[in-house]
Amino acid sequence: MSRKEKTWWWVAGIAILVYCLFPIAWIVSVSFKPPADLNSGGFLPDNATFDNYRTILTGNAKDLFRPALRNSFGICLIATAISCLLSMFAAYAIARLDFPGKKLILSTALVVAIFPVISIVTPLFNVWRQIGLYDTWLGLIIPYLSLTLPISIWTMSAFFREIPWEMEQAAQVDGATTWQAFRKVIVPLAAPGVFTTAIIAFFIAWNDFVYGISLTSTDAARPVPAALGLFSGASQFEDPTGAIAAAAVIVTIPVVVLVLLFQRRIVAGLTNGAVKG
Amino acid sequence: MPDRRRRGLGGGAAAIVLASTLAGCGSDESGPPTLTWYINPDSGGQASIAEACTDDAGGRYTIDTEVLPRDAAGQREQLIRRLAAEDSSIDIMSLDPPFVPEFAEAGFLAPVPEDLQERTTGGVVQGAVDGATWNDEIVAVPFWANTQVLWYRLSVVEAAGLDMTQPVTWEQIVEVAEEQGVLIGAQGARAESLTVWVNALIESAGGHIIEQNADAPEDIELGLDTEAGQRAAEVMRLVADSDAAGAAFSTENEDASATGFEGDNGGFQVNYPFVYPRAVETVGQELADDYGAAVYPRVDADTPAAPPLGGIDLGVGAYSENVDIAFEAVECIRSEENQIAYFISDGNPASLASAFDDPEVLDKFPMAPVIRESLELAAPRPQSPYYSEITGGIQASYHSPASVGPQTAADATEFITAVLAGEQLL
Amino acid sequence: MSQTTLPPAEKTQPVSAPHGTISDRAKAERKLGWMLAGPAFFVMLAVTAYPILQATYDSLFSYRLTDPDNRSFNGLTNYWVILTDELWWKSLGVTMLITVVTVAVELVLGFALAMVMAKALRAIRPVIRAAILIPYAVITVVSAFAWQFAFDINTGFVNSWFAWLPGVASDTDWFGGTGTSLFVICLAEIWKTTPFISLLLLAGLAQVPEVLQEAAKVDGATWWQRLWKVTLPNMKAAIMVALLFRTLDAFRVFDSIFVMTNGANSTESVSFLAYRQTISRLEIGLGSAVSVLLFICVMLLAAVFIKGFKVDLASARGE
Repeated sequence: MSRKEKTWWWVAGIAILVYCLFPIAWIVSVSFKPPADLNSGGFLPDNATFDNYRTILTGNAKDLFRPALRNSFGICLIATAISCLLSMFAAYAIARLDFPGKKLILSTALVVAIFPVISIVTPLFNVWRQIGLYDTWLGLIIPYLSLTLPISIWTMSAFFREIPWEMEQAAQVDGATTWQAFRKVIVPLAAPGVFTTAIIAFFIAWNDFVYGISLTSTDAARPVPAALGLFSGASQFEDPTGAIAAAAVIVTIPVVVLVLLFQRRIVAGLTNGAVKG
Repeated sequence: MPDRRRRGLGGGAAAIVLASTLAGCGSDESGPPTLTWYINPDSGGQASIAEACTDDAGGRYTIDTEVLPRDAAGQREQLIRRLAAEDSSIDIMSLDPPFVPEFAEAGFLAPVPEDLQERTTGGVVQGAVDGATWNDEIVAVPFWANTQVLWYRLSVVEAAGLDMTQPVTWEQIVEVAEEQGVLIGAQGARAESLTVWVNALIESAGGHIIEQNADAPEDIELGLDTEAGQRAAEVMRLVADSDAAGAAFSTENEDASATGFEGDNGGFQVNYPFVYPRAVETVGQELADDYGAAVYPRVDADTPAAPPLGGIDLGVGAYSENVDIAFEAVECIRSEENQIAYFISDGNPASLASAFDDPEVLDKFPMAPVIRESLELAAPRPQSPYYSEITGGIQASYHSPASVGPQTAADATEFITAVLAGEQLL
Repeated sequence: MSQTTLPPAEKTQPVSAPHGTISDRAKAERKLGWMLAGPAFFVMLAVTAYPILQATYDSLFSYRLTDPDNRSFNGLTNYWVILTDELWWKSLGVTMLITVVTVAVELVLGFALAMVMAKALRAIRPVIRAAILIPYAVITVVSAFAWQFAFDINTGFVNSWFAWLPGVASDTDWFGGTGTSLFVICLAEIWKTTPFISLLLLAGLAQVPEVLQEAAKVDGATWWQRLWKVTLPNMKAAIMVALLFRTLDAFRVFDSIFVMTNGANSTESVSFLAYRQTISRLEIGLGSAVSVLLFICVMLLAAVFIKGFKVDLASARGE
């Protein structure tokens, strides 16, 4: 590669970095702006302050934001765990076993993945309020499964196909049942794939907005994206721009941490089938 | 099937309410009840009042607050969805007055006891009482009452030689603003505030958005396409189309109007009282000293203006298990003392006329007498159980304000009527 | 949010009894298969199939949540009302416009990003890979707020930074008109989802045999010719799958519109229209009909892709 060519790749790489990080830098900048700087038209705050973070963490909006953060974490983690468990079994069966209805399961996953959330939220709301699931953690965990299960099944079956199955056969030859072979041999081999799937499923649950605003109404279950619409400025009629920006930054931190720690795995998870196919 | 089930549950809920009320007389085993008060977002004033009343109650009840969404429509959605589920956890709610009829008509509000009706409407500004009334019955308790006044920069009117001790018209301020190269702030964004403006203009011109109410939604007779309605549309366009309208007039909300007014070319704005303490706090007393307040501009020079009326009423949930105690708490919340404290802490004016004479209020809001005068003149938005369709239709038809023309009123009438009849989407 | 991965292609044949002979072992395997896959299958079915059936049923009624006593059967009237309403067609048009614009731009931009990533120097590759995942992982609502604040006439910096561009001035009101509002909405969507597309395309690029590239080079093909004749045809599968999922994803756009314009200035998407009827107006009957129509649109689109473009996901897996 010539020197000139090298320079161009550097330029292109830096352009990508700017593209990806600029809006994030902007919302971080807004979150440090005091009210007087908000309308300055500049990118950076003139007098940076932590006031917006104080407002949502210890100030006026703390009773809104802190429960919402707890709900978001709790609900998303549980939904991720359940969907990983269910799809682990399903993906194993799909990748490994021969049984009628496999195609049905896969097609169902496809249909569910492209399902318009808005179409099902009203009937869900009606059922939830009749059976008491409205505004509860479980009332969000169940619909979140519809978002996370299809991708978990796909991603995990892709990973499972790469597991050296000879080892399972070897275990079966040694007298283990299918179930034992699965538990003792495959689970440890599959763990990295399951972990990656969990991260991707968590991103998807974390991203939800429609279920969050439609199926909750108090801090008993309201997740952060829904809580952003409830912040208030200094008075009822003032826009809570700073508080929203600060909350946005806080909910972005976990995903950024996950991305930085596990980028290689996440990319593999998102593209596995195509790369290795 | 869901239908039948709901009704069954309704009967059950009523029985439970009855049973618990009866039980409340006999035994005290279950301890003091915790009342949940659903509040609109504010800067913490309602939460403080909840604490104060809990303390006052001496252990008879505790009030917890839950926050509703920021916009009026969102608040209504959230409450209605819970109430339609006959949710017993809603004890007290902060209601935007235009939505009171819908709640009352659907049976979501526990009837206000006779004696309380008298105690909570005496000395209350008329607009606030009207807003809490449906079918000649007080169905909610007025808490605080809001109104928009005409804010002007003293330096601007001085330079223009405009006498603000006399009532002014929209035409006058547009003329002065264009001449002086300053802005007029009004809420042109597609939101509830647009309906607030349309309504104030029509009422100021002597008309009403709803001319004749009816039980069946499709029979509601609208007054948009009348002489008064046309005058209102004319004024709206005059303002939106003038050089005095801000560049982002079609997305201007209360906050943006206040921001524009604080700027170098601020001239006039119609807005709520919050703008004054905001100027003191975020910019400084020097700017605030340039703020003047007058009653809302007139549409016709000879007819008094009908300023917008806002505020919050308190309703008690029909499915609450503690209706009596909730009303007791409501009476505490709306006490004069709390109204004054709230006026000072959050800048939301009291519904009790007497609060405006409080020295601390006058200190924070030197223009308090203007606010009270405005509240006496203020006209509520149309009352209808179908208000949400009507305001939605108005917002769709009168946005953007600069596009409003002679045909708008007729189009809006046709559109809203079709929506009410279920023949069109909104 | 985009939420898919390419289907794993056939790799190993299932090691099981041949078809036709029902041995005890095959029976056991069958039972185990359903025992393992069944729960996931039924959960997926329960949270989607039941609600959509209920919505279909509700759509045949005139039913307002606050007025349950007047609920009445009205057949297909709701559908007639919707399909004769200009607003439905407008929202459908807006939705399709957003879909076509975002997907087209994302495909080109995503391909460029993929090329850079494929060729990028070893030194910066991990940094780029991490950076590119960030827009993908950020919550849509957060991204929408960031872009809204950036373009807002008061809080934004865009007007003051880009005033030198034709059409941009210090007082450009981006959210004041249909075109400019849609522009910002598309921009936010593109920013957020291009990385996902580029990762899929990067994976597709890796599938293009290096030998073919070299052969074409030897034959004297230009870079452009190699791109069109060798690279693209060889990654058709990856492109199609990316296209399928992003199109269906874009068609359901809701969050950004909700945050940025709340549907003002004719920026309503079909999802938003459904939301407004059911959640805001509480017209369960009418709203359910919009929901069902939206569902049908999405299914039709998927069918067009799968049948028309032969993106057969299930059989690609060798089932």
